[in-house]
Amino acid sequence: MEFLQRLFIDPFNRFLDNLLLFLPNFLTALVIFLVGLLIGALLKSFFARLFRVVGLDGLCERAGMDQMLCKSGIRDPLSLLLAKIIGGVTVAVFAVIAVQTISVPAVERLLERFFLYLPNVFVALIILIVGYLLSNFLSRAALIASVNAGVRLSGLVGRFVRYVILIMSVTMALEHLGIGSETVIIAFTIIFSGVVLAFALAFGLGGRDAARDYLDRKLKGSVKDDADEITHL
Amino acid sequence: MEEIALRKEVQDWLELVGTADILVGIPSFNNARTIGHVVRAVQAGLAKYFPDCKAVLVNSDGGSADGTRDVVENAAIDDFYQILIPQRVPSFFKTATLYRGVPGKGSAFRTIFEIAEALQVKACAVVDSDLRSITPEWIELLLKPVYEGGFDYVAPQYKRHKYDGTITNSIIYPLTRALYGRSVRQPIGGDFGFSGRLASHYLSKDVWESDVARFGIDIWMTTTALAGNFRVCQAFLGAKIHDAKDPGADLSAMLYQVVSATFDLMETYYESWSNITGTTQIPTFGFEYAVGLEPVAVNLERMMERFSLGVHELLDIWRTFLPQETIDFLCEASQRKGDDFRFPDEVWVETIYHFALAQHNRTLGKEHLLKSLTPLYIGKVASFVMEMRDSSSEEVEERLDRLCREFEKQKPLLLEKWA
Repeated sequence: MEFLQRLFIDPFNRFLDNLLLFLPNFLTALVIFLVGLLIGALLKSFFARLFRVVGLDGLCERAGMDQMLCKSGIRDPLSLLLAKIIGGVTVAVFAVIAVQTISVPAVERLLERFFLYLPNVFVALIILIVGYLLSNFLSRAALIASVNAGVRLSGLVGRFVRYVILIMSVTMALEHLGIGSETVIIAFTIIFSGVVLAFALAFGLGGRDAARDYLDRKLKGSVKDDADEITHL
Repeated sequence: MEEIALRKEVQDWLELVGTADILVGIPSFNNARTIGHVVRAVQAGLAKYFPDCKAVLVNSDGGSADGTRDVVENAAIDDFYQILIPQRVPSFFKTATLYRGVPGKGSAFRTIFEIAEALQVKACAVVDSDLRSITPEWIELLLKPVYEGGFDYVAPQYKRHKYDGTITNSIIYPLTRALYGRSVRQPIGGDFGFSGRLASHYLSKDVWESDVARFGIDIWMTTTALAGNFRVCQAFLGAKIHDAKDPGADLSAMLYQVVSATFDLMETYYESWSNITGTTQIPTFGFEYAVGLEPVAVNLERMMERFSLGVHELLDIWRTFLPQETIDFLCEASQRKGDDFRFPDEVWVETIYHFALAQHNRTLGKEHLLKSLTPLYIGKVASFVMEMRDSSSEEVEERLDRLCREFEKQKPLLLEKWA
């Protein structure tokens, strides 16, 4: 009987004690999480309306960002997108508080480290998103401008602008995350300098005549352009 | 609408003048070379045709660094007898002032409208400062229909080289005609007459931070007059010869500003144009005559290159809003060489209407959308030049009339998709 007591009943009683100690914490955590879900939904709804009222979507449209979002596969207007992010962050914060309420030391330590790092991830994510949107917008602007200027390598110009911005944003994001920060910057500097040097050499040696003509035109205005004389307006 | 306060010296000048019957405005920016001739022509026109009227000349300048305003101040006719005008000095005042606001022709006009309103003038005219072919008769033709005929708006009509005014001929004239149902041949001519009532109406609109403040002003003035049911007519002025435009003003920027202003006006005046079918002629004043025009050099090969380059690089952008058959046509047309190339009216009209719809539906950022129209526009101009190479000016007008009818024919499709 004593054997059974020691082997099964005592551990079971301890488990019950622990469970009784844990359950209130768990229920509190559950309530906190549910409150978080509610507040998150309310904040999302509030900010979605607020952004709409202040005309954020119109501003986004005028800046051409709505098309960038659309092209990135994001169908929501910017006001709703930001409201969703705010709602999501609120829910995440309440989830953390809820987990801390459970009072499990190992989880607490893990969470502490994770949440100290989280702002970096968040900022890096923003850098990547902004970089992506900017690369789409500016590459299209560069493409259209160079086509209208008659540059034969317009496609290359557009792609160049896109990749430079993308690489720069990835570099900045990685640096922010502290992942091989120096290595990334050095690699970026080497690659970027190499590209610039390659262009300089290609223009100066490969296209020496073109370079001379271009400089002549710019500095002396000596080369006559056989422009159209059409008055468009 | 917020009024931009006029400069102190202009306010003093206005107090001195009090009221006036007629105002002629000249917007300028670095036009010292030509503006003297324009001022003298205006002065002679006022002396000859409005000797009993109190008239003012306003030069609204954008901060010229070449002494444009000094030229205006000093320009005068020394001997009226020499130009067969009786030596009678009419009541004539003149001022040259810097305008305020967004740099551009529209802001210059705004200052002119404000002065016109302040002086309670009955009739106004605006003429470009780079004109070399202006004569005193232009002043009569632009002002008399308003001053004596009861009209509110006088659009110009010129004899121009068949390759000149290609944005007007291929887009603005046919589109305005199809939309508003009245045949204003030069809706963005640059030289207009209008009543004081219409000047006040213009001032009541809050558009002075938009493209209207720049190249969009001309189409805005014409469309506002048409849509507002003001009495509109046109006057035949003869040849329009002027200095080359500012070389810094590139084609795509000009095209963007004019076309975006036109498309914006389609939003504003939807109620006006959606119910209109067909076209009516408007009264035309002046004695029409043939004129010799300076030849215009066209580099067709380069135009074709620009068109092909645009099709090659921008097709993905156009795919988002142009119909597939238009895309197929563009791909096929970009392969053609030399005289084989044609941009048919049906496809061109469909293209313009889809650009208007894309702006209406905000399919793409406005600036990117309309600047991407440039290679297509160049293609249409190249096709027009090839087609009309050996044609007379009458044949060119007939050809443009066909294009206008195509715009009218496809208008129901535009309306259907617009709604």
